[in-house]
Amino acid sequence: MTPSQPSSAFLNISYSAHNKPPIPHRPFTDPNRLAPEDAIYASSSPRRQRRADHYLALDGEVAGENSSVKSIGSGRRRRGKDRGRSGSRRGKGVWKKLLWVKQKDYPDNYTDPPTFLSHLQRNPRLRPYDFWPLVADSTVIVQHISSVAIFVCSFVGIYQQRVSPVSVVSWGTVGSVLGWVLWDFWVRQEAASKAIAEPSNNYGDFMNGSAVSGASSPISSTALNPLSTPDSGIGLGLTLATSNLSSRKGHSHSYSGTSVSSGPSPTLSHHPSMNHLHGSAAAPNPTHLAHSRLATAKSALLIYIALLGLSPILKSLTESTSSDSIWAMTCWLMCINIFFFDYSGGVGVKFPASLSTNAALMASTVLASRLPSTTHVFSLTLFSIEVFGLFPVFRRHLRHFSWRGHLLLTLALVIGAGAGLGTTLSKKALWQGGWKRAVAGAIIWCLGSAVGMGGCSWWLIGLQRYKNVVIGPWDPARPVIRGGQWE
Amino acid sequence: MPYNIAMVSDFFFPQPGGVESHIYQLSTKLIDRGHKVIIITHAYEGRTGVRYLTNGLKVYHVPFLVIYRESTMPTVFSFFPIFRNIIIREEIEIVHGHASLSSLCHEAILHARTMGLRTVFTDHSLFGFADAASILTNKLLKFTLSDVDHCIGVSHTCKENTVLRASLDPLMVSVIPNAVVAENFQPLALHKNSNSYPFAARPAPLPPQHLGPHDTITIVVISRLFYNKGTDLLIAALPRILAADPHVRFIIAGSGPKAIDLEQMLESRVLQDRVELLGPVRHEEVRDVMVRGHIYLHPSLTEAFGTVIVEAASCGLYVVCTRVGGIPEVLPPHMTTFAKPEEDDLVAATQKAIAALRANRIRTEGFHEQVKKMYSWTDVAERTERVYDGITGAISEEEFYGDVSGGGWSATRGRAGVQSFALIDRLKRYYGCGIWAGKLFCLCVIIDYLLFQLLEMLAPRANIDICRNWPKKAGKGERIDEEGDEATPLRMARSRASSRRKGRLR
Repeated sequence: MTPSQPSSAFLNISYSAHNKPPIPHRPFTDPNRLAPEDAIYASSSPRRQRRADHYLALDGEVAGENSSVKSIGSGRRRRGKDRGRSGSRRGKGVWKKLLWVKQKDYPDNYTDPPTFLSHLQRNPRLRPYDFWPLVADSTVIVQHISSVAIFVCSFVGIYQQRVSPVSVVSWGTVGSVLGWVLWDFWVRQEAASKAIAEPSNNYGDFMNGSAVSGASSPISSTALNPLSTPDSGIGLGLTLATSNLSSRKGHSHSYSGTSVSSGPSPTLSHHPSMNHLHGSAAAPNPTHLAHSRLATAKSALLIYIALLGLSPILKSLTESTSSDSIWAMTCWLMCINIFFFDYSGGVGVKFPASLSTNAALMASTVLASRLPSTTHVFSLTLFSIEVFGLFPVFRRHLRHFSWRGHLLLTLALVIGAGAGLGTTLSKKALWQGGWKRAVAGAIIWCLGSAVGMGGCSWWLIGLQRYKNVVIGPWDPARPVIRGGQWE
Repeated sequence: MPYNIAMVSDFFFPQPGGVESHIYQLSTKLIDRGHKVIIITHAYEGRTGVRYLTNGLKVYHVPFLVIYRESTMPTVFSFFPIFRNIIIREEIEIVHGHASLSSLCHEAILHARTMGLRTVFTDHSLFGFADAASILTNKLLKFTLSDVDHCIGVSHTCKENTVLRASLDPLMVSVIPNAVVAENFQPLALHKNSNSYPFAARPAPLPPQHLGPHDTITIVVISRLFYNKGTDLLIAALPRILAADPHVRFIIAGSGPKAIDLEQMLESRVLQDRVELLGPVRHEEVRDVMVRGHIYLHPSLTEAFGTVIVEAASCGLYVVCTRVGGIPEVLPPHMTTFAKPEEDDLVAATQKAIAALRANRIRTEGFHEQVKKMYSWTDVAERTERVYDGITGAISEEEFYGDVSGGGWSATRGRAGVQSFALIDRLKRYYGCGIWAGKLFCLCVIIDYLLFQLLEMLAPRANIDICRNWPKKAGKGERIDEEGDEATPLRMARSRASSRRKGRLR
């Protein structure tokens, strides 16, 4: 800072100043200048009171002021004398931060030290990060990057004909089904606990959904969603959200025709759920569950068949594009997938990061054209749906329900990705000595992840020193609306 | 002593707006005080070249590429040749830029300093520090204001904002509020009176209006329907206000992207018969809309000054507004009710205001006279003139900047209390703007200086004609209609002809 910019000190206050306890009277080093500290230290409650008085003073005339303002004025004058400034203004009226009062005693460029920048706040909502929570949160990112790596390795394996595509997709499907079973268990558990906690609310939801739609709505809305394959959190996550939709659509959706309870009249159909909720709230209606499972299985089958039919088309879709373009495009699409992925999404997110998912699916579609047969294409596409569509949902739920499981999964994914990369890079098959490379890859990838997580967290904490959020009355206010749509 | 002043801004008529009318009114009043004022702006559609407005106010419409919302393309140097020409032609001494989003203004201040002129900058808006657009604008502002003689903010909040954004010495920033032409914003009854008694010193006091408990209260909202004008708050609060009192009506004027939301809300709640949507109204029609109501509701989320609430108070409306930006400084408490920018608080404040009106606790009939005393453009011009005096050294540094105890020397000001034009001093000021920015800005200034020298060689001053001044009015005697002459901006269309008629060539 050069002498020519004296008051750039306004924005260059060290971070540590914020943490100091407020000092009531800070000695003024230079009477000409004010620093934001002046505002912060002085912005204790007496100041606020004083400002309120200013605004409340009804008459512009100085004579008509109440005693509190007068006493403030004298206090300020005293301070003014201490600073050896504005001594000539003693005996004149008290300066007020108002425009409608003509303050002839003060020039227009008069800067009132007590009120100037009194509403300035620096880093008001600063929450310093802790190291370990930050590292723990970064596991989500590591998980996603690792699963992308695993997918890429699987493709390379299939492409180089080292791995059978059917085995890849079979393992993937087995994993998905296992995940779905777990997820189903969690959701049931949570629904039960929720029903215990607030039975009336839940009852209302069921009433709204089922009574109007003329069919048991959880089932119908699940069936509405084409993506509700095994372990599809998307499909079942929609249960409540689409109940309005289904109610509006009325009887038009004949998906639920297979479900037993859609035939009878509305009153009949919603009675069981009511009884059940009032009776044994611990376990949801078994028929409901059975139906929802049936519907899920059905739509899974639908997707399976549709994919099977589409595979030849997908295979020839980008066949004429040169391989170089395909690799480049895949690279970009995977980057998009990683950067736009919704890492913060909780369990209740309906359609998390559609751009990210779409990019990944497009990447797999593009890659599929490089594969030799329809079976390959089908396997890769199904695998990509499992990895990019369903797996994130499962991960999200796992993190929500079991932190230990989340850490184990992270470890497994990291090791898996490292091993996969190692194997891919080695020329030999796993059982012919390639396992050495795999182990080496796993170790390197693990170490890299750990260093990356720790290093980035440490870096972020270090960067907090430079955080300088300046908030004041000039910022657009955030409207508070009861609907809650604007925070 | 009279000055030759050039007001530079991208924003001027025919575009309507607060900055535009500020420039126009201030210029008119400064001309009345004996100064020579010209305005430099960019060419608008159908308005190019040189124009004369009332009072001999000369407007240069410089051809420039407009990129966004009437802001010109920032080119840093391309404005210099024509700017220098105008400045020399008109023998300008002070360049006064307006509005921080106007790149024309920033360029003009830079070139004016290179040419050795005094510069003043008026900030009309508030900016945050968080979003990318603000950061960019603030850096540019810091560049320009590193070497400016004085700044003017329209409210104390605006001053604080400018000081922080451009890292200025607070004493270099004056607060001079906007004003209103009170004659154009008269309450209903007063308007009639003033026609019948044009020479009465004070119009007869109005008969106080009494509102019974079941009389209809009309709430007026006139604002552009944008997010930052708080239209979402309005949409949320309006049905609740209407539901609480069956004798309340709304008149909403203005247009904008949120108009659709508003209309949808009205349709879904079937409130069309109680809310009148007028769409966009022209500035001179605002008064006619305002006088139809009792309360003016201003739910804005950010506002540097809020001229419209002064206009509303001048029309005799009780004002309910959000406590944001500079608004709390603008009107005395007996004319306003403040609310937090929250739906619940806004509803509560409006209901309080309705109740107070019904109980006849608020005497709105005196508002017009009070506002007239508070804000006038003549006052603004006087205070601006003092700024000009200060920067040219006409009044001493001690008087202008206060009793400086630090030995009478400041880094931003020279020993004489005014900023020196020496290139090296200017470079010192720019260098402090930032590690990279400082050097970049210095480079710009050096190029600007070289460009100036080149222009002096290519187009010597001697070859530029000095234009004749508009003949001044003879004296004080002829200035009978000083207040009344404050033409509405829209009357300027025929101003050229009328001012020709008025002026007598010397």
